[in-house]
Amino acid sequence: MASQRPAKHPPRTVNGPMDATFLVIVLVLVSFGLIMMFSASYANAFYLKGNSLFYISRQLPAAAFGIFVMLVASRVDYRIFKPLAFPLYLLSLALLVIVLFMKPLNHARRWIFIGPINFQPSEIAKFAVVIFFAALICKNYQKMATFQYGIGVFLLALAPIVLLMIKEPHLSGTVLILSLGAVMMFIGGTDVRWFIAGGIVAVAGIAAVIIEPDLLTALAHYAGERIEIWLDPFSDPIDAGFQTVQSLYAIGSGGLMGAGIGASRQKYLYLPEPYNDFIFAIVCEELGFVGAVVIIGIFVLLIWRGFVIATRCPDRFGSLVAAGLTAQVGLQTLLNIAVVTNTLPNTGISLPFFSYGGTSLVMLLGEMGVILSISRKTPIEKE
Amino acid sequence: MIQVQSSRRMKIKMNIVLALLVLVGFGVLIGRLYQLQLVDGEMYQAKALKQQLRPTAISAQRGAIYDRNMKTLAASATVWTVTLSPAELKDADQLSKIADFLAPLLGVEREKIIERGQKTASYYEIIKQKVDDTTADAILRFCDENKINCVNLVEDSRRYYPYGSLASTVLGFTTSENKGAYGIESNYEKVLAGIPGMVVSAKNAKSGNMPYSYDREYEPVDGNSIVLTIDEVIQHSLERHLETAVIEHNVNNRAVGIAMDVNTGAILGMATKPDFDPNEPNILCDPKALAEIAVFDEQIAAASGEEAERLKSERLDALGKAQFAQWRNKAISDPYEPGSVFKIITASMALDTEVCRPTGEYYTCPGFHIVAGRRKACWKAAGHGTIDFTQAVKFSCNPAFMMIGAKVGPRNFYDYFERFGLKEPTRIDLPGEADGIFYDYDTLAKETGEELASSSFGQTFKVTPIQICTAVAAAVNGGRLMQPYVVSQVLDPEGNIVSTTEPVVKRQVISEQTSETMRGILEKVVGDPDGSGKNAYVPGYRVGGKTGTSEKLDAKEGGEVTRRIASFMGIAPSNDPQVLVLVILDEPQMQNIYGSVIAAPVVGAIMSDILPYLKVEPQYTEAELSDIEVKVPYVTGGVVHDALSALTARGLSYKLVGDGVNVTGQIPSSGTECPKGTRVILYTDGTQPADPAEVPDVLGLSAQQANRTILNAGFNIRLVGADIEGKGVMAVLQDPLPGTAAQEGTIVTVTFADASDAFTAEETYEAMQESSSEPPPGAASPAGG
Repeated sequence: MASQRPAKHPPRTVNGPMDATFLVIVLVLVSFGLIMMFSASYANAFYLKGNSLFYISRQLPAAAFGIFVMLVASRVDYRIFKPLAFPLYLLSLALLVIVLFMKPLNHARRWIFIGPINFQPSEIAKFAVVIFFAALICKNYQKMATFQYGIGVFLLALAPIVLLMIKEPHLSGTVLILSLGAVMMFIGGTDVRWFIAGGIVAVAGIAAVIIEPDLLTALAHYAGERIEIWLDPFSDPIDAGFQTVQSLYAIGSGGLMGAGIGASRQKYLYLPEPYNDFIFAIVCEELGFVGAVVIIGIFVLLIWRGFVIATRCPDRFGSLVAAGLTAQVGLQTLLNIAVVTNTLPNTGISLPFFSYGGTSLVMLLGEMGVILSISRKTPIEKE
Repeated sequence: MIQVQSSRRMKIKMNIVLALLVLVGFGVLIGRLYQLQLVDGEMYQAKALKQQLRPTAISAQRGAIYDRNMKTLAASATVWTVTLSPAELKDADQLSKIADFLAPLLGVEREKIIERGQKTASYYEIIKQKVDDTTADAILRFCDENKINCVNLVEDSRRYYPYGSLASTVLGFTTSENKGAYGIESNYEKVLAGIPGMVVSAKNAKSGNMPYSYDREYEPVDGNSIVLTIDEVIQHSLERHLETAVIEHNVNNRAVGIAMDVNTGAILGMATKPDFDPNEPNILCDPKALAEIAVFDEQIAAASGEEAERLKSERLDALGKAQFAQWRNKAISDPYEPGSVFKIITASMALDTEVCRPTGEYYTCPGFHIVAGRRKACWKAAGHGTIDFTQAVKFSCNPAFMMIGAKVGPRNFYDYFERFGLKEPTRIDLPGEADGIFYDYDTLAKETGEELASSSFGQTFKVTPIQICTAVAAAVNGGRLMQPYVVSQVLDPEGNIVSTTEPVVKRQVISEQTSETMRGILEKVVGDPDGSGKNAYVPGYRVGGKTGTSEKLDAKEGGEVTRRIASFMGIAPSNDPQVLVLVILDEPQMQNIYGSVIAAPVVGAIMSDILPYLKVEPQYTEAELSDIEVKVPYVTGGVVHDALSALTARGLSYKLVGDGVNVTGQIPSSGTECPKGTRVILYTDGTQPADPAEVPDVLGLSAQQANRTILNAGFNIRLVGADIEGKGVMAVLQDPLPGTAAQEGTIVTVTFADASDAFTAEETYEAMQESSSEPPPGAASPAGG
């Protein structure tokens, strides 16, 4: 097979202009995200922090800095990540170990606090997995059909990350990383039959958990309860199901056109942390079904453009990284909205560009910068 | 080339991922949003609003109740309910600060406020209701100064009854929730209550005020007001005399009084005594009931353990019963045996069916009458001898009425009984009206005739006081059975008339002719010196009526009737009836239990108050107009109604001062010679004669002018002289002299003469000098106690 011959000479590339469409979409999302974050946060900020601007005044500089980082990253040749892939992977493992010694927040150890900066190592791990997998695929591209290189290596790489994240515990992050890994492997060339087999196993597992949540409780003690609440959030509307119920109230209150921007009532201390993981519920309440679909549409545009960049990139590594990072944003958005609408059990997962959190926004924009950097690599001859 | 190939494969897979993400992933989510927002949106929104919005009711102003002259009998004023929202409390310190402030201000125990404040899940804990404006302002200031937003003031209203217990059984009262209980308040709840408004405000989950709060106010619709047919002056007179009668005769089972416009059915006054103060409906007013509760209190203090618990529950039962009893409007709720008052109805039947004639037919009363082999006694054991129909009514002869009843026959008796509205409630616009108890036709028509005989004189069946009033009104007003009513108008909050009650004629019961005959007969009962109702006589007015003494047959003790009801039905003026007054004394405790002796004077006293008030023209009879002087009797020391009877029997008028039961003083004093019609001032318990006033100057005035001037100044006048109504005749002498200080009621003797005649000014002066040198014979001195 022709594909078995390694490519000795990658196509010649030149640095073109970055993809303006992608940049615009990102900037639109950041702006929209800031407006909605402010709207969702000021009530909490006023009552609980004594300052309506508490959250926005922290998010705004982070966004500015993030855009700066993005523009810088877009100028940096992404290929420097290829040799850094393994060290980055090791670094993320190390951080995932360190995080287990941090003080817990909401019964989980997900955050590392260093002075004013606090971040989730799982965010680094996601980036590391994308880079590391892209590098692995490039290296073993011809052997992807085999079990050893198509599956084995990747599972080996994922295993410690998954174990450490379950230990935090961080179920949604684990799910996200596993999905991300699967997407990378699928794009990279792992035999499709493995995905079919894996899919069957996953469906069976989910079915078993839905039918008998106690099974999952044995795995992770809080997960079983989450499933029960997911199936019927109104069974415990004032405790375990509170956030979900309040989220559904907010979404339902939005109706077709929404209450109008700023006019959410659920953000007045009903929905806990409305500026965070559940910000989309406030978006739905204020902008209605129409607004929610428009925002989903913008995310879809971003994902589409990200994959366009990935497919256009003449460099396999760049292509895989662009696809991986885009998939990451897409999967995270998907999971977040699924959780907010109670389509999936409630797990802590933020909405890219919208949720409060300076460090993660800077990192996200940095990743967007990497995609922009990839977009600049275009082959001399147009395909 | 290879790179391109591999890229193509990757590209395909990327597109698959993209398609899966977008079409499956986001497709499902959009479907889910569609479900949540558009299909189930309203359901979630409703649930969300329930937690976000706190509706606060604003009570509508309850309509007022006026008497027929627009005097306010019941009105509402704004008060406030102080509530605490523990869920919005900052901390324990704030709660204790609030408790420290509110406890002394509201008179609520501090611990109770703390206790309420600990219910942190609650937004609405009532601390105190019915707080006035001043207190509410103080609370507002306190909250403002201390930035407290968990203490709320909710507008409410409180019912005031400015006349206290006046007409309380008619008015009813309102509960602490401003719901009508009993009487007009209950019956016209929907009219009076209005529609409460509401403030719907959005609040956040933890703290009170939101900077961007959502507020919507739904204005309350105030209630309409009601104008009663009740007249405060008439009602007051009714109650004053009933109250006195209850004490005079130690009435055991409350007394009832009704004053009714016989031509329209409008109730001018309706009272039950003892009653209650609607401002404080739970407080017992009947001294007997109070004494009963006091006995329980003593026993509870002495007892302990289970015994005390048992007594406490018994006390509670007794209190509840006594409260229900005092709220009860006996005039419509308690059927009674009407006794001889019912003879008005029997007589009307007999005349209307033409089985009897007022005169020329005779009945013999040997003191009893035998029906079905049983001897039924007349109240007068010696018997009335041979009397005609009119005399039978006048003397209230039972044997005669048994014969009259037999003449009417069961069929007519039964039908007329029904036509007089006695077999159904009157449907007066008051709640709790009872129906009477009467035989079915077959029982009444039994061959023995016992039931018909006893029914003929008002025994062995029951009707309510309002039923008998309506029936008697029909008997004297020309035969029309009127719908009795107490509400004459409904006014909207701006005072515009919403509706007016027009008198309703239910049916023509007897002919105009029969009614006219009845009026004549009934006048004789009171007006004739030998009439059984002479104690209800009012000088200057033609009063008709009928006495009633009934035996409470369902309360026999050992076969003996021990409890009686004394009643009197008065109608005035009897030639053109306008008003009827019924007084019922239920279980009076005294030697002479006849209604003619104890109930008639009460009606007489009420009539002499209300007939002048109703501007009924006095119609003096010749005997009344004769200038024979009478001696004022000694009435000081007696009870009011005995005194009034004694005075009216001599053709004297009176004025009562104070609301007491006993007469403590009189002017003129006993033995004073004075003209008939002289007004004797009677002072009752606790009242003192007013300071002497100056006698006005009437010299030179005509008889009419002088009369008016003297009477208006509170004195009595004796007119002396021939042809005093003649042309050119004027007052030439007066004694005491103008400007002299004299007690109210003092008789001023004024001499009239034709000015152009014998007297000159000088002579007049000399005569005056002469007469003032010796004490005038008619001058009165204030009577001692």
